[in-house]
Amino acid sequence: MVDDNQLKRLRDAAVPAPGKSEKARAFEAAMRAYDQENISAAAQGSVGGLRLTERAQKLWSEIMQKKLFATPAIAGLVALPIAGYATFHLLGEQPSKFGGDQKITETLADKPATLKPAEPKPAPTELAKDKKADADVESRDAADALVAPTSPPKSESAEAGGAAQQTAPARGVVAEPAPPAPTGEFALDGTVNAPSTSRAARMPAAESKLIAPQPTMAPADQIVPQEENRDRVQDFKTNPVHAALEDPVSTFSIDVDTASYSFVRGSLKQGYLPQADTVRVEEMINYFPYDWKGPDAASTPFNSTVSVMPTPWNSHTKLMHVAIKGFDVKPTEEPKANLVFLIDVSGSMNEPDKLPLLQSAFRLLVNKLKPDDTVSIVTYAGDAGTVLMPTKGSEKDKILAAIDSLRPGGSTAGEAGIKEAYRLAQQSFVKDGVNRVMLATDGDFNVGQSDDDDLKRLIEQERKTGVFLSVFGFGRGNLNDQMMQTIAQNGNGTAAYIDTLAEAEKVLVEGASSTLFTIAKDVKIQVEFNPSKVSEYRLIGYETRALNREDFNNDRVDAGDIGSGHSVTAIYEITPKGSGGEQIDPLRYGQASVDNGGVANAGEYAFVKIRYKLPNEDASKLITTPVTSANEVASFDQASTDQRFSVAVAAFGQKLRDEDATAKFGYDKIMEIATAARGADPFGYRSEFLSLVRLASALGGNR
Amino acid sequence: MAMMLDESEASDADLIGRAKGGDRRAFGTLLERHYDFVYRTAYRWCGRKADAEDIAQEVCVRLGKAIRDYRGGGAFTTWLYSVTMNAARDMMRKTARETVKTDAYGVHALISGEASVESEDPTEALWAAVRQLPDKQRDAVLLVYGEGLSHAAAAEAMAISETTVSWHIHEAKKRLKTLMRSAGEV
Repeated sequence: MVDDNQLKRLRDAAVPAPGKSEKARAFEAAMRAYDQENISAAAQGSVGGLRLTERAQKLWSEIMQKKLFATPAIAGLVALPIAGYATFHLLGEQPSKFGGDQKITETLADKPATLKPAEPKPAPTELAKDKKADADVESRDAADALVAPTSPPKSESAEAGGAAQQTAPARGVVAEPAPPAPTGEFALDGTVNAPSTSRAARMPAAESKLIAPQPTMAPADQIVPQEENRDRVQDFKTNPVHAALEDPVSTFSIDVDTASYSFVRGSLKQGYLPQADTVRVEEMINYFPYDWKGPDAASTPFNSTVSVMPTPWNSHTKLMHVAIKGFDVKPTEEPKANLVFLIDVSGSMNEPDKLPLLQSAFRLLVNKLKPDDTVSIVTYAGDAGTVLMPTKGSEKDKILAAIDSLRPGGSTAGEAGIKEAYRLAQQSFVKDGVNRVMLATDGDFNVGQSDDDDLKRLIEQERKTGVFLSVFGFGRGNLNDQMMQTIAQNGNGTAAYIDTLAEAEKVLVEGASSTLFTIAKDVKIQVEFNPSKVSEYRLIGYETRALNREDFNNDRVDAGDIGSGHSVTAIYEITPKGSGGEQIDPLRYGQASVDNGGVANAGEYAFVKIRYKLPNEDASKLITTPVTSANEVASFDQASTDQRFSVAVAAFGQKLRDEDATAKFGYDKIMEIATAARGADPFGYRSEFLSLVRLASALGGNR
Repeated sequence: MAMMLDESEASDADLIGRAKGGDRRAFGTLLERHYDFVYRTAYRWCGRKADAEDIAQEVCVRLGKAIRDYRGGGAFTTWLYSVTMNAARDMMRKTARETVKTDAYGVHALISGEASVESEDPTEALWAAVRQLPDKQRDAVLLVYGEGLSHAAAAEAMAISETTVSWHIHEAKKRLKTLMRSAGEV
């Protein structure tokens, strides 16, 4: 705890004097604003707003008394429909004074709650426009809504939607920023999937007792923790320890996603330990480029290296390290690309780390394109729209201009957007080339096809036609990580989370060829352990990628893909027989018979099988590697730099998940291994990892 | 001249009353009187002179627009605090796009102890840490320790309850400890 005396010093800090001319300019601007108000002051006078806000306040306190906010879950479900209903309610009351609402939010936001709210002004259009120019801190949605009253309202839904967006930013001014995505929740809890006309009709029945959180009220402040935690993440259990005797086979799909690492990094840099379910250890390991030995020709798409080494966090066990490196396609051999950018421009994207970052990221990618490549851009918000018809890479200016023209607004019609994107991809389909939809979103797919399963089916169907899909996640607070994973896994694509421009560069520029050029698809790994050498094993990570044993030989079962130059690493912690590190007691009454052992294979630890398909083939091929003591190194330090680093990352990931295996293994030990294994680190990824370990260590206390 | 003297001695409430009635000069005097206060608050909030000047200008404009809606109640400065901090937050959000990279680097450098971030002065280093706090905690620390307000007064300026202010302060102290420790201070 930092004590009061230290904090009192804050008062003594020197403040440099403000500049004279700046001060004069400020006064001038203030006077102009003041004079303008003088002219419009006459138009004031309606008391309608007072009455409305008072009622809102009253109902808000009723809600609080009814303890509807007893649990965070209920609060999350209730608060946003309330906002929507309230907006509808206010609209119904005063449809013609919509322009004046802008004024309310603006002035209310600037006042302590003790003050009475300003009266809404039946603002003339002229004035409303001035306001719009001045209040450029308000979101664009609010500005759009402002224009609405000048023309007859198009539909109920347009107004309700716009206004819902408007209340959210206003609340954000007073309290913490609240992600303005109320409509997302409607779709989520299944009450409303259709556009808001039906919402308007249904809401009163469903929520008749509820009304708006009054924008300036303190409770908005107390809701914040729940709002921040709306990232949807699939929860999963850590892989358990298996006895090799009873369950000798482990099967999983490879995973080249990296989203989890970026997400963890974002959390730690903001000063929070990440939620355990956001930490997928394999994605953290695979974030880093490793220099595994690759294959020599494109005919064998990848090479696998298996090695066994002692476990740094457990003296009784060993690690079996499976490293796969994809063939690196030479730039001259790169096939033509047909890319469709499917970009979420919903209101929730209106944050610095979302749409603007996305635009910069795609600009980077466009600069990497070859003249023959084609790019199309589809946006989805209130409705899906094509911003750019398929355009050759040689017309770079046109593409860049289209990217720059993107503006956020509206709710998210993910389904229509995805369908349109696939249509364009088919239109400029390149045979034997790369056909890929690149979806960029903050995670809201809330109008239409919002069910993850429906989405999955659509994407699977399109995948069969040869159009793949990759997902790039942006922003925090509302990220639907589960949806991203589902659609990337089913669309033969990667899911990456982009939080900084540097990350965009890593994914889209450094990793462009691996992101774009798939060299093998449906890559599955099956490992069979030899019970006479290994008594127990545990796969580190890949929990969300587990497959059934019989799926391995079933070519219809989808699995992960490897892009050009990708490296994929899987690590097993194995307990050699008789080492004394067993966690599972042997069976008292007989044991399953071992008939695979035989004399010939008795010395093997395990047998690794990898199944893959070439990108344009449907029948899979098999690579097998026996793991013997020839693959073993005697001490951990003898393992290669990259191997040791990947083990440090694995340890860190498990530590963040608070797993038993690494409970006694401190962050300092992880630091030690990683520091020693930093290697050349040309892009600084590994030094960044070191700083994350330091941060986690500081945040995690003595864990 | 007598008139001028009169004005500079008039109370805030008087000036506000006249400004609401449309008296330009009263409004000007009010601005003159409080500009430095607004600027100082803004500077403490963001830590950059140019940004603080921009925020102060924004606050002046907002005052020009909203002074007629001011109903009194608490002290005028309480209201000014909340207007200023809202303006500061909006400004930061707007410019965050440009600064996100440099800030990220700054935080990173601070954490890994690579850069000095002008931290020779421990008070400056503490301010730098305060500016990394989440908005509400930052506001609370700024008002309570930077400006010496009571928790109750800060609560009024932040439009939240007094206990919530105390809670923010408590959380801020915990967070500051972590931030300062990783910055190599304390």
